[in-house]
Amino acid sequence: MAPDIVLENATTELAEYEATGGYAALAKARAMTPEAVTEDLITSELRGRGGAFFPAGRKWSFVPSKEQLPKPHYLVVNADESEPGSFKDNEILSRVPHRFIEGCLITAHAIDSQHVFVYIRGEYSGPYEILVGALEELKDRPDIRGDVTIVVHRGAGAYICGEETALLESLEGKRGQPRSKPPFPAISGLYASPTVVNNVETITTVPPVIAMGGAEYASLGVPNTRGSRVVSLSGNVVHGGNYEIEPGMSIKDIVYSLGGGIPDGRELKAVVPGGSSTVILTKGEIDVGYDFDSLAQVHTAMGSAGIVVLDDRCCIVQLGIRWSEFYEHESCGKCTPCREGTRWLTAILRKLEDGRATQGDLDLLLSVCDRINGKCLCPLGDSDAIIIASYVAKFRDEFQAHIDNGACPFGGESSLDGVLAPIQMHTHSPVAEVPA
Amino acid sequence: MSEPQADLVTVKVDEREIQVPKGTGMVETAAAAGIEIPVFCYEPRLGPPVGACRMCLVEVEGMPKLQAGCTLTAQDGMVVKTARTSDQAAEGQNATLEFILVNHPLDCPVCDKGGECPLQDLTFRYGPGNTRMRFPKRTMEKPIPISPLIALDRERCILCYRCTRFSESVAEDGQLVAINRGASSVIATFEDEPYKGHFSGNVTEICPVGALTSTQYRFEARPWEIQNVPTVCGLCPVGCNITATTREGKVKRVLSRNHPEVDEGWLCDKGRYAFDHLEARDRITTPLRKRGLRRFEASSWEDAIDEVERLLRESGTTTATALSGGESVEEAYALAKILRQGLGAHNAVLPETPSQLGGSPLSAIRGTKTIAVLSDVPVVERAPIVDLWIKAARRSGATVSYGVPTGAVGALITDDAAKAAGIVAEHVYVLPFTPNGRGVADAWSAAGDEEPVDEKQRVLIISGDEAATDPSVRALAAEAETVIGIGMFEESFRGIADLVLPGTSYLERDGTTVNLEGRLQRQRRAVVAPVPDVLAWLSKLGERFDVELSPHASVLFDEVSERCYGGVTYAELGEHATLPPLAAEAQTPRLSVDSTQTQGQAERSPGLRLVAYRPLFSGAAVERTPELAFQRPDPVVELSREDAQTRGIRNSQTVTVSSNGTSLELRAQVARDLLPGAVRIARDHAGDLHPTVEVRP
Repeated sequence: MAPDIVLENATTELAEYEATGGYAALAKARAMTPEAVTEDLITSELRGRGGAFFPAGRKWSFVPSKEQLPKPHYLVVNADESEPGSFKDNEILSRVPHRFIEGCLITAHAIDSQHVFVYIRGEYSGPYEILVGALEELKDRPDIRGDVTIVVHRGAGAYICGEETALLESLEGKRGQPRSKPPFPAISGLYASPTVVNNVETITTVPPVIAMGGAEYASLGVPNTRGSRVVSLSGNVVHGGNYEIEPGMSIKDIVYSLGGGIPDGRELKAVVPGGSSTVILTKGEIDVGYDFDSLAQVHTAMGSAGIVVLDDRCCIVQLGIRWSEFYEHESCGKCTPCREGTRWLTAILRKLEDGRATQGDLDLLLSVCDRINGKCLCPLGDSDAIIIASYVAKFRDEFQAHIDNGACPFGGESSLDGVLAPIQMHTHSPVAEVPA
Repeated sequence: MSEPQADLVTVKVDEREIQVPKGTGMVETAAAAGIEIPVFCYEPRLGPPVGACRMCLVEVEGMPKLQAGCTLTAQDGMVVKTARTSDQAAEGQNATLEFILVNHPLDCPVCDKGGECPLQDLTFRYGPGNTRMRFPKRTMEKPIPISPLIALDRERCILCYRCTRFSESVAEDGQLVAINRGASSVIATFEDEPYKGHFSGNVTEICPVGALTSTQYRFEARPWEIQNVPTVCGLCPVGCNITATTREGKVKRVLSRNHPEVDEGWLCDKGRYAFDHLEARDRITTPLRKRGLRRFEASSWEDAIDEVERLLRESGTTTATALSGGESVEEAYALAKILRQGLGAHNAVLPETPSQLGGSPLSAIRGTKTIAVLSDVPVVERAPIVDLWIKAARRSGATVSYGVPTGAVGALITDDAAKAAGIVAEHVYVLPFTPNGRGVADAWSAAGDEEPVDEKQRVLIISGDEAATDPSVRALAAEAETVIGIGMFEESFRGIADLVLPGTSYLERDGTTVNLEGRLQRQRRAVVAPVPDVLAWLSKLGERFDVELSPHASVLFDEVSERCYGGVTYAELGEHATLPPLAAEAQTPRLSVDSTQTQGQAERSPGLRLVAYRPLFSGAAVERTPELAFQRPDPVVELSREDAQTRGIRNSQTVTVSSNGTSLELRAQVARDLLPGAVRIARDHAGDLHPTVEVRP
């Protein structure tokens, strides 16, 4: 049974939202001390939904008091959803913008912040318009806004700006390149001031947590993964889309019960469980609960909850090229292994796909993966190395066939039809019409 | 941030225990234990570490992944293993080098950096011996001249971002930037404009590969053919420590030689590039005698010395001397001793007043919280490195005020000691006009203390090209019966001198100078001049007047030192000269007399006071370095914000500057270091404007 927590009572209208109990959690939170709100979040065991899965309440508790460090506090919301396979934040912002805003205001109260920045992916013009419209409605509602200013900033088309420190750099007007940590944003983030960076879904979960109380939220789901999770289901599946699920539901159930299985009578080949950056699962591995612990046992993760279903037409080398090209294209260029390594990986994969590779190239591929992994400044380069290595580990026969046959046994690029767009089709369209 | 640095922590690096203050960077911590952590992007002078190149990967006990040593700080009990003892770290560093070399062209045989290249060195020590890359390397258009001084090779670039960080956080000119993303990232100048700025050349020196190279040095020498001479720049009063690279007796380039108290390893473009003047076409190589109105003819040394002797004997005590402030202490002393002790000619035009050795090091500026700048002339034009120290202080939170401060300040920087009267400051820096004017004044006083005779001056000796081109000295020359010049370039003396003896440059002599801090520094001869050493022929000339003069700088210095510098010996001035603390009785601010600029003294009148300053990129050496022509100041008039506002003038607007009958059209620029009531124009662009001007839109 899927709970309805984040996406419950979807509306973009303020009046309608209030009529269904909207902004009541904000009032409740404001009646509490910031420490009590943070405490309730810690009790709820809510963990960050952006991918790293860090306990949200604990993150807030790291912000030093203004007496300790007399600087402004910032809340920055990461709405730069760009992970291939993930599109949940798009839907959350589009359907429950006021719950999102309410979450921002409660979090701002909890961390004693008067400044909220929402860094939204430039291509998300639809959600942007809706969010700005919702904020417009609050213009003459100082009772809701309080002393908090919410600024919506549109990104300029860089995946790396979804990494929290690159996002902060970009927000400051600099090149979107990750910073080395420490210092962590909670101490020195935006403009070198204490900053909490949370994902859209995390923030939108805050009002229901406060409304029902942390303890009740923590009673949902399974240990280490509480409450609900919005997952994006895509690829070779009958009913793609976003589903709010209770953690622990198996991937098999998500694909077959919620998603309606594989279309056109084809066979399932593999599932990418949490967006492009997560280790792939073969069809034999999908009877696994969709929660942190269960996925960790099969060495993968929920990531940003983008589940991509692949049927038996898919060439795994081709999939590797697509995603390696993506990482190469999106590498910021700051650290050496990622900048040079992702480009090299793509080149070797292309050679394999074209049937020009030798046995030594497969060894080289794994060696380059090994030399990238764990050496980069941020997880971008590591992700490329990890997933390519996982493809070889789980589908080695297929790589071998490319070498032995001297050609792709799957007929090349068309094998990914309906799964994901090639890199040439990635366009940056931060729509020019920004309302004054 | 403001973490206490006092508590020591114990860190183990490759089995060696070392105690360092908590928070010390791991690169320094390891170095203290005698262990190298190799780096490319790490350069503490550029601000906080960025962890970009991944060359410094080390293994830290308890951490699953390799850590970047440059961003790691020492914590108590930390156990760190470098490539020496950790296979994992060695593998990581080998991997980094493999990745760097994947697209690096390996054109080392024709690369200017080859042989003195950190990438070569670290590849030799930590890198792979062969390449596994079988794809075509990335190629790009090259070289790209990012200015007439600097060539950019984007293929060689390893994207350590040192140059862009220098531009952004040291020079603060923001002109070098990285554009594009990932493997397509390249270094570029903002809007593809030439990199124009006082400090641009430093990026060629901090570049760890041959990506940014000096156009002057391009294909000029290989590292195994050169000699490096440690000396001190003689082009401004800072006295930056430099290394002159020579090949086959010619200076090929000038590099900085980090003196942490003076220059911190930075050098301005004048100091770096203006050495071309040694090879100038109008360089004087033999004594010259005036023939006709504007021509010279060569003379033999015997004839020239005979004639100088004859002229000086005739004029005797009525001989006057104009010194430029570019001479070494010893040159000035030798000349002074002949004139004062041999002739009794005590009349001199000195560029500055005598020095007081000692004071605050320039590096003290960075440690202050408040800085007051009282200078009509931009500090960067007078003493460029001082500007970098001010910027460094501002970046670490200091406030910089212009005009008379309301309370005590940490550092006071002024172009005129008189302005410092009554201001309480921990560190006072009075910017001289000339590189060694104070040392020259010391030398003059060391040779005698009699008063000059009050008679018409018959012979004028002009020492140095800067004096020969100074309008006030030229006015004196017009009144003298005979003018004897000592200098390097014909153009400087054409039309005014009757006899010219060849001079030498600071790169061609041994000697000492006194910089603006009051620091005595030694200059060493980098190349042999095409003319006899000045001290050598002055010593010969001295014999004619029974003045005993050694041709050796060391002996002359010791004579001066006995009278002026407390007996410190020449040998005691090391390669990195120390600065003695200021004697207690000398704590009053030093006095400086303005000899080259008189406009500043104008009465307060309804108009605006014109400051026609001499820009850094001007003078005899710069004029003879064609590559520096683009660095000359733009034709702008600078106004204070208040004066611009009251006149309705906006930045970049073309305005008319006028005084008594003359007017000029210039672009307006609002300068925050200018006080209301004054406007500023580089002397080259000031035309015939009078000391009081009006500016209209």
